[in-house]
Amino acid sequence: MAEEVIILKDLKLVPDKYYDYSQTLRNSKTPIVIDNGSFTCKAGWATSSVPNLIFKNILARPRKERGKKDGETLIGNDIANIEAVRFQLKSQFDRNVITQFNVQEQIFDYTFSHLGIDSNGSINHPIIITEPVANPNYSRLLMSELLFECYHVPGICYGIDGLFSYQHNGHNGKTGLVVNCGHHTTHIIPVINGTPDLINSRRIDVGGYHITYYLHKLLQLKYPAHYNAITPSRAEELLYEHGFLAVHYTDALKQWSDPEYYDHNVKRIQLPYSMAVLLTPDQQRDKRREMAKKLVEMNARKRDEKLAEDEEQLHQLLMIREMIEDGEPIEEVREVLRSHGLKNEKDLRKLITDLQTRIDRAKSKIAAASLSASNVDEHVTEEPKLRLFKNKIQLPKEESISKTWLKDIYKKRQDIIDKKTVRKQRRQDMAKRGTAASLERMRLISQLARKDKRDDDFGSRDEDWDVYKVINKEGGDTDSEEEQEKISELEEVLRFYDPTFVSSNNNEEQNPKEAHQLHFGIERMRCTEVLFQPSIIGCGQGGITDTIEFILKKYNDQTANDIAENVFLTGGPTKLPDFKQRVYRELREMRPLESNINVKLSDSPFLDAWSGAREFANKQDFHKYLLTPEMYAEMGGDYFIENSCSNMYCPLPEAVQEPEGLSEQNLEI
Amino acid sequence: MANNPVDELSQREEKKHVFKDSSFDNTKTNNGKKKLWRSLKQITAQERSLPWPDNSINYSSISAPPSFKPAKKYSDISGLIAKYKDPQTSLYYAGHEEFSTVRNLPSDIITGYLTLRGSYNPIG
Repeated sequence: MAEEVIILKDLKLVPDKYYDYSQTLRNSKTPIVIDNGSFTCKAGWATSSVPNLIFKNILARPRKERGKKDGETLIGNDIANIEAVRFQLKSQFDRNVITQFNVQEQIFDYTFSHLGIDSNGSINHPIIITEPVANPNYSRLLMSELLFECYHVPGICYGIDGLFSYQHNGHNGKTGLVVNCGHHTTHIIPVINGTPDLINSRRIDVGGYHITYYLHKLLQLKYPAHYNAITPSRAEELLYEHGFLAVHYTDALKQWSDPEYYDHNVKRIQLPYSMAVLLTPDQQRDKRREMAKKLVEMNARKRDEKLAEDEEQLHQLLMIREMIEDGEPIEEVREVLRSHGLKNEKDLRKLITDLQTRIDRAKSKIAAASLSASNVDEHVTEEPKLRLFKNKIQLPKEESISKTWLKDIYKKRQDIIDKKTVRKQRRQDMAKRGTAASLERMRLISQLARKDKRDDDFGSRDEDWDVYKVINKEGGDTDSEEEQEKISELEEVLRFYDPTFVSSNNNEEQNPKEAHQLHFGIERMRCTEVLFQPSIIGCGQGGITDTIEFILKKYNDQTANDIAENVFLTGGPTKLPDFKQRVYRELREMRPLESNINVKLSDSPFLDAWSGAREFANKQDFHKYLLTPEMYAEMGGDYFIENSCSNMYCPLPEAVQEPEGLSEQNLEI
Repeated sequence: MANNPVDELSQREEKKHVFKDSSFDNTKTNNGKKKLWRSLKQITAQERSLPWPDNSINYSSISAPPSFKPAKKYSDISGLIAKYKDPQTSLYYAGHEEFSTVRNLPSDIITGYLTLRGSYNPIG
């Protein structure tokens, strides 16, 4: 069980399909529900039970290359492999607020076209879209502008994702606390009798993104060799497959520090690798032997062929000689001679003797080869000789390999290694200003640079110059290649004569499968801990429970109790195992002893915001909450109609002095 | 899905996005200048400069307060509770086994851990 190795799935995204724009949809005013999250966008018709489209709210714009026409912009699920376009990704979000409306426009194009809409010049459906708590008016203004002026929608309704999710889970009209953990931020919203108390809500700037980021970086730092193989998408996969929350973090850490517990709970993750063929010495010898045999056989075959050829030629030539001796007509003999490329009888005789000697030689060779064939094995099994060294280590005669000699070699090697560590230490000391070594160096330098050198006899003695060696940061000598070479030679000698010797760089002996395994242990809960202790990633804000405590203190005891009795968790990361138990445990410690505490997890933390918004859009009085183009034109761009799940409308206050930026902005829009 | 011919046809049509107002141009301002999108930082800075009434909220006003508890220290390498801090690398570590590891880390890894914790200070 503990030895189980987990293979990464590396799921590829599948492009979204294009829906049909059916006649009923075309003629109805069915609202379009969009949960526009900074991680994924969920969009669909209010008549669908689940979002028609769920895609990552990003697009990849290929880099412009000269001489090539612009590649297509990939949006959402069109991006099969995010890692391939990691550096071209664009998001309309800056943290949890939309700022890049040109990107948002392309995302809307993608959404509406995939829903199948093909009406000319406008979208005849009201839009219900989520926005963050306290969405800046400027951002909402641009959103309304985009939807009204580019798509000519008949109406917009804004709402907060966490509150939609709260309503969807049957908390309508109840008092409670919404903990909405998003991709970039976590919102904690108290709800009193069904009305969100946004003034007392708080936002922590930590979310799922930070968990993934932290995990990604941690694994990269733990395994620098696999820096490129550890990708954000893999970190995300690992998080949602194996991540969890520690109910009690410090206790859990103590458990993990026990090696046995660690071995049982660590997940071994196999990174993809290509099998490099590594042969054992035995296999290598076998291979060499086989090669040699093959070569010998090939030579023999060639020799045989040549011999046969020569014999055949000799045979023919002998026939010709017989012809001559038999007194055949001279014309015919000439003809035959010419066909063999010979001029006269003399040539013929010479060729015959040549051939005969060649055949004799070949025959004797073959005889010799067949004799030695049985010895071939011994020839090639001969161990490769120790390489000849530049530095000529005195090799002893076989008999005289003594322990003292080996010890000597060991000592030589250790000396070099020690020298290197001393140098390394010195370098480290010099890198910092506060260390004793660098203080001493500064003292020497300032002494050398002193002005009053009345009786200065510096340089009269040779030792004087040594001071420059001391103040040199490198200490006068550096790690040389020569030294490294010497070490490897010494190690080779040791390996040859001492079978127990283990080389200092034994990592090459590790098998590649294991070398490409990640041990995913404490990190499983260490990364998720950032939600409760943002200080881990250097974020100054309090964690989820700290912030809950802060909010509860703003209410009287009775209300605080009521709120704590109905804590509601929603948002992607809350589906991590033990999230609920963790919140409960910390609330229990924080709240008075006898008080009731109830923590509930959303039915579907990921989709409930969309479902809640959909229910809202299907309400009878939905049209009352729709912002119309007329209102947009009359009340100002940032105006919207409040509803039970929305932000509160806070018009930009009149500045005491007319601020430059604001007037400019009004001009532009 | 996307491979069947009907869908491909509709895909090509979709490229035009007929439902859009063709006169709408989000890349330029009314004066014909290139539109620059304000960052969240700029937006909130501008918001903060305004005198908000008491019963209103804005992006900065709902930011969670700092924790009142002291931040716990965890070993940068193992994640265990850290009892010590190496003065040379300023990494936290949990015990003597980790100390030698800490001292043998290459400088880029050290910087990586410190940056991740948000306490990398190149000035020293």
